[in-house]
Parts: sequence; structure tokens; C-alpha cells
Amino acid sequence: MGEVIVSMKNIVKTFPGVKALDNVNFELRSGEVMALLGENGAGKSTLMKILSGVYTKDGGTMTIFGKEYDNLTPKQAQAAGVAIIHQELNMCRHLSVAENMFLGREKVKGIVLKNSEMEAEAAGILGDLKIDIDPRQMVGDLPVSKQQMVEIAKALSIHAKVLIMDEPTSSLTAKEIDELFRIIRKLKADGCGIVYISHRLEELQAIVDRVTIMRDGQYITDGIFKEMTMDQIIANMVGREIKEQFPRVSCEKGKKIFEVKNLNAGKLVRNINFSLYEGEIVGFAGLMGAGRTETTRAIFGVDPKTGGQIFLDGNEVKINCPMDAIKAGIVLAPEDRKKDGLCTKLSIRHNLALPNLDLLCNKLGVISSSKEDKLCEDAVKNLMIKTPTVEVNAANLSGGNQQKVVVGKWLARNSRVVIFDEPTRGIDVGAKVEIYNLMNKLKQEGIAVMFVSSEMPEVLGIADRVIIMCDGRITGEVMARETTQNEILRYATEFEKKQVS
Amino acid sequence: MNEKKQSTVKRLLNTRGMGAVITAFAGLIIIYVAFGLIDRNVFSGQNFMNLLRSMSKYLLIGVGQSYLLITGNIDLSIGSMVGMSAMISATMMAMGVNPVLAMAVAMACCLLCGVVNGFLVGEFKLPPFIATLGTMFVTRGVAYMVNNNRNTDAIATGIGKEAGDSFQNFFYYGKTLGVYNTFWIALLLFLAFFFLLSKTRTGRHIYAIGSNVDAAKLSGVNVVSTTIKAYLVSAICACVVGFILCAQAGMGNMEAGNMYEMYGVAAGVIGGISPLGGTGLLLGTFAGAAVWQTLENGLNMIGAQVGIQRLVIGIIVVFSVLLDVVVRSGNFGKKAGK
Repeated sequence: MGEVIVSMKNIVKTFPGVKALDNVNFELRSGEVMALLGENGAGKSTLMKILSGVYTKDGGTMTIFGKEYDNLTPKQAQAAGVAIIHQELNMCRHLSVAENMFLGREKVKGIVLKNSEMEAEAAGILGDLKIDIDPRQMVGDLPVSKQQMVEIAKALSIHAKVLIMDEPTSSLTAKEIDELFRIIRKLKADGCGIVYISHRLEELQAIVDRVTIMRDGQYITDGIFKEMTMDQIIANMVGREIKEQFPRVSCEKGKKIFEVKNLNAGKLVRNINFSLYEGEIVGFAGLMGAGRTETTRAIFGVDPKTGGQIFLDGNEVKINCPMDAIKAGIVLAPEDRKKDGLCTKLSIRHNLALPNLDLLCNKLGVISSSKEDKLCEDAVKNLMIKTPTVEVNAANLSGGNQQKVVVGKWLARNSRVVIFDEPTRGIDVGAKVEIYNLMNKLKQEGIAVMFVSSEMPEVLGIADRVIIMCDGRITGEVMARETTQNEILRYATEFEKKQVS
Repeated sequence: MNEKKQSTVKRLLNTRGMGAVITAFAGLIIIYVAFGLIDRNVFSGQNFMNLLRSMSKYLLIGVGQSYLLITGNIDLSIGSMVGMSAMISATMMAMGVNPVLAMAVAMACCLLCGVVNGFLVGEFKLPPFIATLGTMFVTRGVAYMVNNNRNTDAIATGIGKEAGDSFQNFFYYGKTLGVYNTFWIALLLFLAFFFLLSKTRTGRHIYAIGSNVDAAKLSGVNVVSTTIKAYLVSAICACVVGFILCAQAGMGNMEAGNMYEMYGVAAGVIGGISPLGGTGLLLGTFAGAAVWQTLENGLNMIGAQVGIQRLVIGIIVVFSVLLDVVVRSGNFGKKAGK
């Protein structure tokens, strides 16, 4: 480990009404990967935004490579060697890879852009990282994982020596994560200091040297990763002991509620057959792109089906659009909360009421405010949504609370089947447990729960039965208590043999 | 050598938005030929020259509006700015002021409006629709006030017949190399702004803020100054169109340029410029302006009334965007099914 390259002391940052950072200390050395841990709202992103010049601090000192900076603009931070890869990837989709990499510091001759020179340099940097991307390709056409590689390449093209990665693995597959880690190790060997923010604690041991833990805007502790136990880390993050990371509730397996027969919808949903029973949670595991999300969308009537039948309590239901599914009592909490799950510019109240307007309106279509109040009150109470009032915009909630609102939309309807698609993505440990408890509660109430997740430990920890998909087909079905990660992974990689003829 | 040439052509064809441009040019040829088959006079040299001249103002206004559409904004004030430019320059010339000075004053006023638009949208984050709606009314108001709510007298009454004629010839009636000056002026500005958009840093930044303004800002792009530059381009275009209308009429008309902002949107959109920002090529705007003018010209030649002209143009605008949407959603389908 090298010398200290970034040192932040007693950093204070206040937003209207909130003290986001309260005397936070942070230190980064060259050639190390520093994990910055804490629950959502702990202030990790805020701290890193100060370091990268997006926010200005209200107090404290910040030293980068021995030089003290009062306040930085994003451009000055770049010049100082700091680059940040944002959680929500920040790229211009309509521009090419090279254009994105050189955005804001284009090479020019006179006033004319030197496109071929920039493309050649971009190709060189991508080549150094052994990333196979054509610099002339449009960024919007690349998969998310490649876009992330481009962001890293962009950071390197400005000769960044301090690289901040905010949740870089949240939408990558296992193979892509390995690729990312390979690059991180290379950067580390080259003497870069890397700040790594992640909620996936399992992946830390692969790359992390030291950790800094924050909670509620305060610095809690730091230390060498190998000398700390996972329980210590979690306890420091949450501020309380989490007894069980995966609380499981045992239920009697009841009658069959829901059955899908020979469902087909495009290449990623092929001949899907499965059933859900009362009192069990069925996990859907698989690699990214295995067709799990597509299956949920086809069931829910978002995407058109090309064949298959769906049965609820033994009777066939025809689902051609989401409204058909909702009326039948089949509901979906989609993968992308902000895009598909919530109207982020509307209040919690309006979000909760939206799919239930048929219950809240009288015959003339006038919404009854008292019924709406009741619905919101129940949802907030039952789901423990943490918010001052239901008039708050959904966008202003933390990830965990947003997820609760997504679920809350459906609970007023006496649903029979609830489909969760990656419900815990990007939310913190404490909130995850609350979501698990919620699923357990549904299970106890006799509702069939379908639980799609890419995180193996939670599938094994929460689901009773696990169905594994690969390449649009169901390749395996196992009982969660009797299986191992390896067995699931084997099913998840069971691609059809391409016929060579 | 041959290989290199091929790759340049291929690269040109692969440029984003080129598909829409080619479609628009294909549509243009079909429309032109179709009208020509109905009425052979459409193919006459004189008509072609008239066509080039009358498409020039739509081309200019389209270029201005396209700059804003690509940044994901809009400029509703350019039509009124055309009127303001025509009225200010005509009023001054009718009073006997040197035409160059009169034009300079008109240009200064338009540039000022451009800066104000850019500031309101870029710095104060006003929705561009609202900000430029305001300046639209203000500039039209100024156009009315310049000459006390009257159209101006003939400019020749102030600067004399000779100077008046030379102003009118320069912008409208005169020809150079057999083509009306109006078209040369429009072409020159088009080429300059084409270069600015496709070959310079400013142009790149205009695409970037239209594509993802946050990413652009975090990459160190100055969003405010880029926005102002885009609004300045539209102001310059509007101002020159004002001169053209002034030269055509030989006087200032308070209603000059009415609705032109929307003609600009139509020209851009027919040419494949996305009103959502980030994509589109000025070549498309060229095709869009030409489609528009060929339609108007052709419908005129075959004796169609204004009503039917508007109706057809309206359908064309919707149809061209619909085509774009359908083509794109087709692509999405393919991706999802992969």
C-alpha cells in the first residue's frame, strides 16, 4: 500500500433540512481498493460527490495528492486526477464511445474536431484494458456492462489516479463482474486508488483492502478488511445487530394456486411450465438475460404471448394486458423501480392509488378522498414506509421505501399471486430484511409469491423452492434447503447445445 | 485506396440519423416527380429556380430550430424574431438610414433575444417552451411598436430607389451564376452551421446536452454557454429570414414570419431530427425544407387551395415521425427477442 493520496477531514455538508455529512473523515492510499460502506442515506454518495466536484462542502478540509482544495468543479476534480463512475451510468446514448470518452475535452485542430485521433486514442485505452469495443459504436447500443467499461476507460483517458465506483456491479452478470474485477486489479497494480461503494457485501473479499464505514452521515470506523468479520461490518453499518440476514418462516404447503403451461413469448420465454402453491415462496434464479424478467412480463400481460395457458385456482385466465392480470389478482413489482414501478414525479399517495382507482372511484369516476386516505394509511402502516406524509414525491424516498410503495400499490387488492422481480436490488441490508419479512407475511397469508433474484444467497435463504432458468428455458427445479450454489449455477449455465451441421 | 473509399461511404451511411435523411430525400424526389408528371411546368427551369428561392427561408428557419431541437429544447420566438428583424430594418431604411447599419441594429436586437432565451433556459432552467413563448410575444410586440403599429412605407422612400433596389436584389430578386441570391445566402449559412454542428467542439456539446444533460455537465461541458450558442444560431437565422422577407416586399410587414417557428419544427422533423434531442442531421433539415416547399409549390401549380396544402403538410409531418417511431420500435422488438 502506498502513500495517502486523498485525505478528507471533518467534512460537513448540509442540505435544506438535513445534515447529510457530519464531521466525516476519509482517507485513500495509492494502490488500494477502499470499500466505502453504509446503508442508503448514510452519506457515501454525498461524500464522493464532494470529492469529485459535483457538490461543494460546507466545512472541513480536503487534500488530494498533497494539495489542499477548498472547492472543486467537476472539471477541476478531473484535472486533479479524480474520476467518478456514477451508479446511474452517465453517458450520452446518442454519441459514440470515443465521443463520450472525450466529451468536454475534445481534441481540436483550430476549431475542427480531430475525430480519427480521438478514436485511435480511445481504441488504445480500450485495448490496454483488453476491452473489446469499437470506439465508433454508439453507447446507447451497448449493453450496460460494456457502458460501464466505457466509463472506466473514460476515467483512465483523463489519467485519473483516484477512481470512485458507485455500485458498479449492480447490473452485471457474474462473468462481467469477474471482468470488472480483473480491470480493478490492474488499476490497483498501476498505483491507482479506488473507492468502491457496494451493497453486495459478498463480493468485497475478492478485491477490497480496507473499509470505511459510515452511518447516518457520520464516520463510524475504518480498518483493514481481512481483520474484520462480516458480522462486525454489518453491525457497524446498521448500528444494531441484524439477527438473521435471511429470516425464513415455515409454512404448511397448501393447495395449488397458480399454474403456467407452455408459456411462449419470444426467444427468452420458451415452453415455461411451473406452479405456485399456497404458503411457499418460489425463487427464480439464473444469469442475467436468462429470461426471468421476460417471463414475469409475459405472465403479467406487458409483452405479447405467442402461446400458453395460465390457470388461477384451477380456472384458466386470459391475460392480454396488465389490467387483465390485476383484475384476476396477479400483480407484479417490476425490476426497475424508477422506470416501471413508480411515477417518480407523483406523490406516494398518487402512486398507491393509481392501480386501485377502480376501487376508490364512484360510478362517475370521482375519486373518494376518504377511501384514498384509508388506503394510504393502511399501506404506510402495514409496510412501515418511512415518510413524514404521503404527499412526498416517490422520487425522494430511499430505495427500500420506494420498493415498499411499489408493493403497497398491490396489497389493497386481495391479490392471489405477487411477483417480485429483483426486489432488493440497490437497497441496503436493513431494508432488505424488511422486504424479506414482507414476502414472508404474504406467504403466511396464503398468497403465492414468485421471487426473481440474481443474488444467490437471498434466493437460497428466502425461497422454499427454486426454479432455474437459462436462455429462455427452465433448466432445473430444486428445494432451497437441499441444494447448493454450485448446483444452481450448473443449471443456470445449461445452454442448449448449438447444433453443428 | 478503393477499400478506404468504401469505408468512408459506409461510415457516412452508418452515421446516426442518416437513414432518416435518405428517406426524406427519397420522399422529396418522389414528390417532385409525382407533381411533375401531373403538370410538366413543375420541371421547368424557372420553376426550379423559384423553388430554390422559396425553400431558402424555410431552410434557414429550419436550421435555427433544428439546433434547438437537437439540444432537446425549442425556440418558439423565431417566427416573431423574423417579424422584428423585418420591421426594425425596414423602418430604419424607410427613415433613410444606411441599409448596413439598419441590418446591424436588427441583428443586434435578435442576438440579444437569443442570449435572453439561452439564459432563461440554460441558467435559470425555465422550460424552453415557456421561456420562448414569452420572448415570442415580446418580440412580436416590438415588431408592432417599431413603426407605431403600422406596416412601414416602401424602403425606397427613405434610402432612395437605387439603394432600395440593390437591397432587394441582394436578398431576393437578384441572381448570381443563374441562381437567386436568396438561395446562395441560405446555402452559405447552412454550410457554416452544418460545419459548426458536425465538425466543432460546440457542435459536439450541442448533441451531448441534448442526449444527456447531466452526463454532459459532469464531463465538464458548459451547459449554459452551449445553450446560449444554440439560441444565438436560431436568432441569426431568424434575423436573416427577416431581411429576405423585407427585401421581397420592399417594406416591413408587422406579421412577417408568423408561424415560422412551427415551419422550422416541421422542416426539422420531416428530416428526421428528434424533438427529444440528441439525434438528427442538418442534411435532414435541408431535405425537410425542400419537401415542404416542393409540396407547397406542386400543390400551387396544380391549383390546390391553401386549405388542402396545409392539410397535406400536416399529414406529411405526422407520417414522417410515425415512420421513424415504427422503424425504431421494430428495432427494439429485435433487440428484446435476441
